[in-house]
Formats: sequence, C-alpha cells, structure tokens
Amino acid sequence: MTAETGDRVTITIDGREHAAEPGALLIKAAEEAGTYIPRFCWHPRMKPVGMCRMCLVEVETPRGRMLTTACTMPVAEGLVVDTKSAVVEKAQEGVLEFLLINHPLDCPVCDKGGECPLQDQTMSYGPGESRFVEEKRHYEKPIPISDLVLLDRERCILCARCTRFSDEISGDPLIEFKDRGNLTQVITFPDEAFSSYFSGNTVEICPVGALTAKPYRFRARPWDLEAVESVSMVDSFGSRVSVQASQNEVLRINGVDNDPTNQGWLSDKDRFVFEAINSEHRLTTPLVKENGEFREAQWSEALELIAERLGSVRGDEVAGLGGARSTNEEAFAFGKFLRTVVVTPHLDAQLDDGLDPRFLAGTVARATVSDLEEAATILVWAADLKEELPVLYLRVRRAATELGASVVVVHPRRTGLDDVAAVKLTYRPGDGADLLGSLRSKRRARAEVTAARAALKDGPVVAIVGRTSAAERPGLAEAVAAFARDLPGAKILPVARRANVFGALDMGLSPELLPGRVPAASAQGRSALEEAWGPIPEPGGRSATPILEGLRDGAVSSLVLLGCDPARDHPRPILARQALENAGFVVALDLFLSDTAQLADVVLPLEGFAETEGTVTNLEGRVQKVNRIIPGPGRSRPAWSVLGDLSRRMGGDLGAPSAEVLMEEIATVAPAYRGLSWDRLEWGDGREGLVVPTGDGEQPLQHVPDAAALDGAGDGWALHAGRVLYDDGVLTRMSPSLAALAPRAAAYLGPADAGKVGVEAGEEVILRGPYGAVALPVGIDPTLAGGTVYVPANLPATAALGAPSHVEIERLEGGGS
Amino acid sequence: MTADTLAGWSAANRRRAEAMLAAYPDRRSAVMPLLYLAAMEHGHITEDAMREVAALTGMTPAQVQSVASFYTMYKRDGVGRYLISVCTSISCFLLGSDALLAAVEEETGTAGGESSDDGLFSVEHVECIGACGGAPALQVNYELVEGVAPDKGAALCRWLRDAGPEIVLSDEMQQLFGGRRSFDWAIREHEGAVAPVPAFAPYGSSGEEGA
Ligand code: SF4
Ligand code: FES
Ligand code: FES
Repeated sequence: MTAETGDRVTITIDGREHAAEPGALLIKAAEEAGTYIPRFCWHPRMKPVGMCRMCLVEVETPRGRMLTTACTMPVAEGLVVDTKSAVVEKAQEGVLEFLLINHPLDCPVCDKGGECPLQDQTMSYGPGESRFVEEKRHYEKPIPISDLVLLDRERCILCARCTRFSDEISGDPLIEFKDRGNLTQVITFPDEAFSSYFSGNTVEICPVGALTAKPYRFRARPWDLEAVESVSMVDSFGSRVSVQASQNEVLRINGVDNDPTNQGWLSDKDRFVFEAINSEHRLTTPLVKENGEFREAQWSEALELIAERLGSVRGDEVAGLGGARSTNEEAFAFGKFLRTVVVTPHLDAQLDDGLDPRFLAGTVARATVSDLEEAATILVWAADLKEELPVLYLRVRRAATELGASVVVVHPRRTGLDDVAAVKLTYRPGDGADLLGSLRSKRRARAEVTAARAALKDGPVVAIVGRTSAAERPGLAEAVAAFARDLPGAKILPVARRANVFGALDMGLSPELLPGRVPAASAQGRSALEEAWGPIPEPGGRSATPILEGLRDGAVSSLVLLGCDPARDHPRPILARQALENAGFVVALDLFLSDTAQLADVVLPLEGFAETEGTVTNLEGRVQKVNRIIPGPGRSRPAWSVLGDLSRRMGGDLGAPSAEVLMEEIATVAPAYRGLSWDRLEWGDGREGLVVPTGDGEQPLQHVPDAAALDGAGDGWALHAGRVLYDDGVLTRMSPSLAALAPRAAAYLGPADAGKVGVEAGEEVILRGPYGAVALPVGIDPTLAGGTVYVPANLPATAALGAPSHVEIERLEGGGS
Repeated sequence: MTADTLAGWSAANRRRAEAMLAAYPDRRSAVMPLLYLAAMEHGHITEDAMREVAALTGMTPAQVQSVASFYTMYKRDGVGRYLISVCTSISCFLLGSDALLAAVEEETGTAGGESSDDGLFSVEHVECIGACGGAPALQVNYELVEGVAPDKGAALCRWLRDAGPEIVLSDEMQQLFGGRRSFDWAIREHEGAVAPVPAFAPYGSSGEEGA
C-alpha cells in the first residue's frame, strides 16, 4: 500500500494513524503508540498465549468488525483497531466478571493489593458489581510450593505466566496446570517442589496475589514502599533491580527490565539477598582487638590506631586485598590510598580464584552480553553458569531456545545448559589442554569433538570463558580464548564471578593494572597518572598469593582488607589463615565479622549495597549506577569516606569529599572511563549502562589471550571444586531464606570410579589435598568425567579442602574391602 | 534411561514403549501413547507411572501430570472391570439421561465418579459421546450402546455382573439392551477402559495383541 514509511506499516488505532513495526503484536504496537490495552497473560518477554481474553479489541475485517485478542494479533498495513468501542467495553466487563467469579477478593490481606493488575483493571474496566451469587471455588490456601514461594490457588486467574516462565525462560517447568475446566489449577508434582533458582520471577509477574514470596509476605503494603533503581551486587552480571524499602529497612528487591542485561529477570539470590542487608550480624561499630578480644571503639580511636600502625612500617611492607565487592568509586579510593598514601605496589582484588587481571580487564575482541543475540554459536567453557552467573545462563538459554544459536558446553560434569546445548564435551580437569588440542586438530576424534569442531565453524561465535572451578589451572581459560579468537567472527566474554571484580580491576586493583585499563608497566600510563597523583610505586608488586606468602614469611607485615575474606575464598585456606595469624597488623573494612575479619586487629563497619551510591562495572564492561535507599546500620560508613579520613590521618589526601567527586576523578585519570559521569548514567544516554570505553575513552591495554603452556600433571584424583549458587558465601549465610537452600556437601564420583575406590553412595571418605582435608559422604554423579572427584566448593563441610588441582581419596576404616 | 525406567515393565509393554519413542523425532511427542501404556502397566495412571513417562520423554513429572489430568480417559484412580460412562450432555439429558444414570447407579451400587467395592464397576457421567442421534447413550469400556432406557440400563449392569463377559462388544450390547441407533459406525476392535485404542495400533497396542 501507499502509507508505508520505510519498513514500517500504518495502522489506525481509535481513529488515529500510527507507524508500527510490521508483524509486531498489536498489544505492543498500540502501547508504543501510546494506547494501553489491558492484559493479564501477555508479558513482553514471553510468547503470547491469548489465555485471559482481557486484551480484546475490535478490528475491521472483510467480514466486518470482529473482537480479537490484541496480544496474538500481528499488525499489518492498514489494520484498523478500536480499543474503546462499546463492544470492547462490554467484552472487557464480561472477561473481568468471569475472572472474578472465583476470585476471593481478599485484597485487604493480599500482598499484591495496591499493585495488583486485577485490582487496577477491575477498577478501570470492570463491571463494578458481581451477579455471581453461587459458592466460589475453594482450595487450601496458601500452600508452599517451594521453600521460597507460596501458592494461593483461589486467587489464581490461570494466565499461565508462571508456568510459561518456568518452561520458556528458566527451563525448569516444575509448575504446571493440572486438571481442566473449573478445576484447573497451577500446581507442582506431589513430591517435587518448585525449587528453581528463578522462582521469585513468577511471584513478580503473577498478575494477582496467587504466588507470594516467603521473605516478603505480609512485610509491607506496596504504597508504603519507597523504591530506587540499582544494580544487583550478587554476581558480576549486573542485573538491574528495584530496591524497595520502608522505614529504613529493605523489604523487597524486584527485577527491572534492562534490555542489554537481565531483561527483567533475576535469580532468587539477587532477589532475596536483601535479608543479608538487614542482618543482625551486620557490623555497626569499629572494633579494636585487645588481648585477643574485640572491643567497641570510636571511629577516631580506630582510625588513629590504624594510621599509627600503618605509618610505622615501610609502605611496601603493607599490602591491600579486596575491593571486588565494592563500588568503582570505593575501589578507586582503595587503590589510590594504597598507591599514594601507604605507597605500596602490593594490591589485588582477586584471590587467585579468578583469571589473569589483564585478560579480564583488557582482552581484545571482548564480547558484550547483547552479542549473544546475534551469535550463531556460543562456546561456554567456564563455570556452570546456572550456578555462578544465573542470569547470564538465562541469556545464553534464550539465545539457544529462541534465537537458534547452537551452544557448545565444555565442563567436567553436567551443567545447567546441557539441556539446550547442541554439543557437550566432558573432560577431566587438567586435561583441558589436550582437549583444546584435539578441537584444533583435524585428526579423527570422538564424535562429540567432531560435532564441536563442526559447530564452531559457524560464526559469529561468542566464547564465554572462565575457570570451570578454582581448582582448574587459571591459564586454561586464556588458552581457550586464544583458540576461540581464531573462530569465525569470534568475540570473547571472559567471566569471573565476584560482584564488581571487573570494576575493581578497571580501578587498578591489581599489581598489573593502573586505573582505566592501563598496564602497570606502561611508562606513558604511569607518567600520566603521576601527573594527577604524584609519584606511585614501581610496578612489580605482589598479587594475592604472594601477598599471603609474604605475610606468612614476614616479608609483608601489614594487610588492609576491603570487603574481602581470604580465609574463606582463597583456594588455599590454610595459607590464608597462617598469613593472617602471622601478620603484624591487619585491618578489615567489612559488612560482617567474616572468618578473616575475626583474625584482624581492627575491624571497620562499612555501608554496603542499598546504602552507598556509586557505580559498578559488569562482566562485559558495562558501567551502571547503584543507588542508596537506606542508611547503613549503626555507625557504619561508606568505604571511600573511611579511606579519605584515614589518608588525612596518615598525612595524605584522597581529595574525595564525595563518591561523585571520585567518579569525576575516575573520568579524568582512567582512560577507559573518560567521559563518564553519574549524570550521564542517571539521566543521559547511560540509563541502560554504558560499556566502557565509550567514544570518549580509550583502552590502552589490548591484551591478546595467549595459549601458555599448561601443565596438567598431578597425583591422585583431579578435583572439580565447582561453586553452587547457594554456597556458604557471606551473602547467603546471612540471608536465612537462602541459607536454608544450601545443597548437601558430598564427594561425588562417577559410578565406575566409585567402584574403583570401592565405595558406595553415602559412605564416608576423607579427601586429602595439599591445602587441607575434609571428610565427606560419597555421592554418585554419572555425568562426571572419569578420574575426577567433584566437591561443591565453599560449603561449611567442604571449605577446608580449598581448591587444589588434585586430591587423594581415603576410605574410612571399617568400610569393607 | 529407557532401560532403567522400564526395568519393571512387562516385556511386551517395554517393546511398545520403545517403538513409541522411536516413532517421533522429539521424545516428548510420545507422552500421550506412553501414558496409556503406563496405565496398562500400573492398572491406572499412578504417580510412579507419571514419573516413568517423565523420565522417558525428558519432561518434568509436573508436565506429564498436566497432560494426564487434562484428558478424562487417562484414569488416575483404579477403574473397575467395567467402566460405565453415561452421557449427560444436552441431547441425552433431554431424553432422560438422569434417569438412566440413576438406574445404573442403583443397580451397581456405585455413585457417579466412583468404583464399586468389589472392583467390578466404575460409573461416570461424561460429556457428549457423539451419539446424540441415539440418545440417551452410554459406553461400557468405551463400547457404545445407544437408545438405552433406564430399565435396560439396569439390565445391562445385571448382565455384566452375571455373565461377566471377558470382552464387551458394542454390537452385542446394542442388540441386548439398546434401542434406536444414530447410525452404524461400530468399531470392531476389542477395547478396555485403560486398554489401548485403535490410534495406537501401529505400535502393536491394539486389542489383538494386548488382550
Ligand atoms: S499463579 Fe499467578 S501467574 Fe500463575 S497462572 Fe495463576 S495468576 Fe497466572
Ligand atoms: S493478554 Fe491477550 S489474552 Fe491475555
Ligand atoms: S449428548 Fe449424549 S451423545 Fe451427544
């Protein structure tokens, strides 16, 4: 026809013409044109089902005007729609009257009351009065369908949003409709709970109060909540969240639809971690150790003591660890404090459980999450994404199931993505280099390898590379990236887990890096920074493990920790402990009295997530703003202000009257962050976050992944110390609802290997490695590579093992022969 | 997985299950025939049966339950030897299905939706069974009888109890207890309440072999 503008079509809604995307669903096209069509079952991130009939509109057809569901109607040139006619109004009233027949109308005691689409749309489009005098449908209410979610079937309007989410989006369809007609209900299988890592999303998208979340139930009314947008700091994916609080207490975290990142979804850890913020175990006052006991202290006293102790040793006898859970501003202040006030080159944001900082911060051809949408092939050779980066898992899953990408997963055992993977390669940790070799070569190989070779020929390829577990050699990921670089249209997404580890590295918290992705060895970069900061120490400082070794051996005397728990998180827990015990002076800035903080001499209480303002950088290098909605507990303070105070007492100056001023400084001295500002992220072009460097910045470090020689040898059983979502990390431990979900600790063996050792499931064995030993019951995992033992990392019963590459298995006495 | 899951099944049903799974490019497409088979194996669709079908098809048990509970012909409770389904939809209702149902209930001592204690009868009322022209109609083990007056319905039940036919046939019952027929369309397969249906004959599950 004539009215087409470019590849748009012209449609008429309520007598006015609009341009629309051809094939777009009418409900969406109308919304974009400013006309809201009421709906219950349609959700912009899921396929339409036309289930609730609330979106009925009249369209003109060759056979006259007809009612149709706007959520299933694709628009085409010349479509004429009436969304407000008398017929439509009558239809809407009718639909609502039907929906309300069985709805209990217990709004005054319903969590959804006040933000309920059924309530709102009944007010706007409903009949106002019911003609139904018969008995309503009754069910036991509510029933728990998992440890986190309760279901009230009386309130359910059968829109199938929840069941579609769990099938289409998260891939764990543990809830479904049962029965039919008037008896249709959402329910689980009798003995299989809705234990999904993503269950909270169904609560959020349920258009009524049928699904409620235990941690939030009856805690607040929506109109009493104040909300602020922020970014989840549970992992490095950087999901956009709405943090909601009442009376200085965070009561709920909801997902926000940010197209380049989480697209509205959250993991349950992102969502329910707010319990940790409100934990009674939060530090509220500075603590000073005297004769082995902590006592409360004033800030001035504690800071004075730290200034004196740190000032009494040479700068390079001091080291700093941490910052990967802080904001960029705090990490930047930490680096500046260490490099210019203490004057030490020894600093690290990682704990030797991640990857080479240059690779993480500055790899060439780095992928963004959005690249997954265009990828023909996605290579995932990293941790089990569902466990470590669950929302990235959702994005990869979407690429596979909705967008037709073939996914190649390489891992020592089954991962969450296996169900949608085109090819799965299982290998024994330590044999990664050999496998890589056979992927490269053209020689005959097992069928899966051949299939993987074929899949990887199809570009563009996005390679998600990381460490399959902390027991894996760190060099392997880079070797994988070096291999992936040669694939057609390849982009690399190096992944590490800790919330703001990418930001911390970008802020220079590594002996290898200066702020803004500048190599520490670059003379030009150093002199540019020295112009702003004055002299900084020579490169060549110690990274995490050498720092701990130095503390143990006396070469390093003091340690400053910023939200960092090496006693728990370092792959060698005994080394960490010896280091802390041997250290002359340890100061820990933290939210909790962690295992590490307990060994410190001075502990300073910090404000954390939802309490401080700043920016964070996610795994693709996207900078987003985090915001404050409540003050921290007691006398806790933001890290940047503590470090500023401390600097002044030590005769230095961070020049940081506020976090925003720190951002201004970052934007000047950190080349990759040039041009950024809070303003731009909040009100400008950075509302969805900005991947740095933007057009204004540059990235001096261009790290080319290199296939270093990998040594696979080791005695005993290869260890796979994979992390699980609900491990014993401090955030889960301090969130009672999440802590209850921790999986059982066990030493898993393949069935054949269990036979070789002569053990059966449930039998106790001792695993002994170079860094520690633990006794665990045996579990059987048929998906595990041969010669490998899998131990879920960092559970209370497994933490002491650390993450060595190999372990010995000893049977306990009396276990038979 | 197939071998493990089917370990407890009879050899014949195991073969059928494998044939069904092989017949579809996507395992989950086999869910419906497999549910029939699992019902044959367990007597009705038990939780175990749904779990087994889930394992075979790669679905979750909740999804299988959703399918199994949607269709009324998947019996989730034990069914008597004779399943009597009395149509109570509009045509049959107008021509006295209430009285027919009451007669059947009384003769069998079994309320609609239930089974008799001796396991002989199950009675249910169903929606239109496509015999409106011969209303009121009922089915015994899905074998149709049309134009059934209440006293004939009771007589049918007595006959089932006394004669105890191994296999019930539409034609035979129609002759003995039926009245006006809509048209002659009789299926000549031998079928039972939870036994296979003709549609699954390609898998070797039709009456001949399964009986
Ligand atoms: S529980 Fe909520 S989301 Fe699920 S079908 Fe019912 S109304 Fe829809
Ligand atoms: S929104 Fe269209 S039918 Fe539910
Ligand atoms: S109404 Fe009874 S068969 Fe149609």
